[in-house]
Amino acid sequence: MSGLNWAVQNLIRQRLRTLLAVSGIAISAAMLLDMVMLSGGIEKSFAELLLAKGYQIRLTPKGTLPFDTEATLDRAGSVVGRLRRDTAIESAGAVLGTSLYGRSRDSLVTLVGYGIQPEAQGIYQMQRGRDLTPDDTLGVLLSPAVAGLLGAGVGDTVSLVGRLDPQVAAAGVSRRLVVRGIVRWVYDYRGQPSVGTILPVMQALASGGRPDDTASLLLVKVRNDAAVPAVADRLRKEFPRLEVYSVADLVRFFKQRLVYFRQLSYILATMSLIVTVLLITTLLTITVNERLGEIATLRAIGIARSTVVRQVFIEGTVLTVVGAALGIVLGLATARYLDSILTSFPGLPAAFSFFVPRQESLVTAGLVLMVTGSLAGLYPAWLATRAPIAATLRSEAT
Amino acid sequence: MGIHAWRPRVFAAVLLIIGAGPARAQVAEVAVERRLAEELGLSIGDTFRIGPAVDSITKLGLVTAIYEPRPDPAEIAKRERHVRLHLPDLAALLGAPDRVDRYGVGLRPGVSPDTAAAALNRSAFGYRAYSSRAIASESSQTLLVVSRFHRAIAVITIVASAVFLLCIMLLKVEERRMDAAVMRFVGVRRRTIFGALLLEAALIAAFGSVAGSGLAYLAGAATNAYYRRFFDTGLTFSLITPTIVLFSVGLSLALGIVAGAVAAWRLVHTRPLVLWGRG
Repeated sequence: MSGLNWAVQNLIRQRLRTLLAVSGIAISAAMLLDMVMLSGGIEKSFAELLLAKGYQIRLTPKGTLPFDTEATLDRAGSVVGRLRRDTAIESAGAVLGTSLYGRSRDSLVTLVGYGIQPEAQGIYQMQRGRDLTPDDTLGVLLSPAVAGLLGAGVGDTVSLVGRLDPQVAAAGVSRRLVVRGIVRWVYDYRGQPSVGTILPVMQALASGGRPDDTASLLLVKVRNDAAVPAVADRLRKEFPRLEVYSVADLVRFFKQRLVYFRQLSYILATMSLIVTVLLITTLLTITVNERLGEIATLRAIGIARSTVVRQVFIEGTVLTVVGAALGIVLGLATARYLDSILTSFPGLPAAFSFFVPRQESLVTAGLVLMVTGSLAGLYPAWLATRAPIAATLRSEAT
Repeated sequence: MGIHAWRPRVFAAVLLIIGAGPARAQVAEVAVERRLAEELGLSIGDTFRIGPAVDSITKLGLVTAIYEPRPDPAEIAKRERHVRLHLPDLAALLGAPDRVDRYGVGLRPGVSPDTAAAALNRSAFGYRAYSSRAIASESSQTLLVVSRFHRAIAVITIVASAVFLLCIMLLKVEERRMDAAVMRFVGVRRRTIFGALLLEAALIAAFGSVAGSGLAYLAGAATNAYYRRFFDTGLTFSLITPTIVLFSVGLSLALGIVAGAVAAWRLVHTRPLVLWGRG
């Protein structure tokens, strides 16, 4: 009988305890996999989100993160012009974020407005209709949520209202615009009512009609990915009034904000491993103790100690492999559920995920579990080799 | 409507502060958050320059107070630093006179905040009125999500612990095979053996529960100490309430006793010779 067959037979002989042990290992493995996905998934998902349209650098007003405050930067057109003249930069565009209102019958609906430069935009993807052109002062793009709120579709006319004046109970500025397309705003939270126009139109709506050249954010796409850190450094020197962030910088800030979840994932992953080790060690130790007579007999007929040790190891490995296989399936299912909870954070982009199933996560969790499971068999294996043959056989015989 | 106070509350802005400078007559009084004061080495009576942008840090501020902000779970991860100015000073600094972000409204006793907010929303234009409860509910959404996540993790942990406990109790009782066989050989009744094994399982579960509660208390204290230091806050991160202890101990005892009973029942219904290993 091969070592594997022997191990399987032994495990089948104790069905209930094997079932419980495999269940315990499976739950621990599921938790471990979830925590491995959580610890690495946050930054990877965020980096992918930032690079969704290929823009590697963001410029914001000094001391702010993109869209973290209402601060704006002045003379945006001049800065964008300088950026576009830089030979290392493929494209650069400005974005202005502001709050505004849409008229729906006789009431006003609060909306989020984006002013964009269609020739260099990195914050939306077209779903229906057509994109704005750089000089389209009459066009507007809607999110599906706004289309629903205003009851408007492609080709319809909507009325947007900028700053409101409570003193005179009137809109500071109002525009009637034609819906060119329905878009998905990449950084919007689920159901966010957002609209987009070309930058000058949104600047006029935000400032109450006064001439204005402000932006909340500048997006920069560098020709060569490897040159991003160097270009970011150069831009920091060139624009000391602005904050310059590469994707790596933003991921670092984001990680700081979500440090609690990363630390929690490490703690829970460690606890999962401890539970797995305890389960396997306890089970194998008791199994070895129960089978001391059998082991002593095997040793008496010439079976080598190494064979006995291998036998105990194989038993532990079989438990770990079966538990881990079930744990991966369970882990993927629980990850979806946990992700649905965490992605309901207010203001979090809808495209963001905390638990990202990746091959490397599966491999890491599997390897860690296999190594831990194998090591857990060390103590019982040592016990098995130390059994005194004669004394054990005599005790078994009486 | 029973409004008896209506005053501008806040005008929030990003401000930049650098260095210390000589005192002048036109100095804005500033209350500085304790952590910011520590980071910048500021103390009461110091002056510093303050401005809304890097190239306009021109106004002078005088530190007249250093305050400890109320711990806010929604803010700790942001690590933002705050200063407080008199509203006219801040408006002048930003070049935005007569502008505020929000008003605080105090109502006369007996007036419903929700009714007042609805009335304001009907009668006015250009702003939105909320009751304090509505704002608190909205701003606590983040914490509710974290709480739901913790609950989900707790359920998984409870299931894992339950399986672990069942497994251990089963093994523990099965260890007593030989003892049970001997007792059966000498005529001890099954019921007595079952009771003894059940009592043993209950004692182990009780001891484990007490030890687990102690361990949880220590882990909670360590968690609070670590995160309070990490985030420099007085917030409580881990709270072990009597309800939680009772639930955990109750669940452990129930699972331990059930597992012990199942294992003991199997043991006493196995033939003594089989238990002895000769069956």
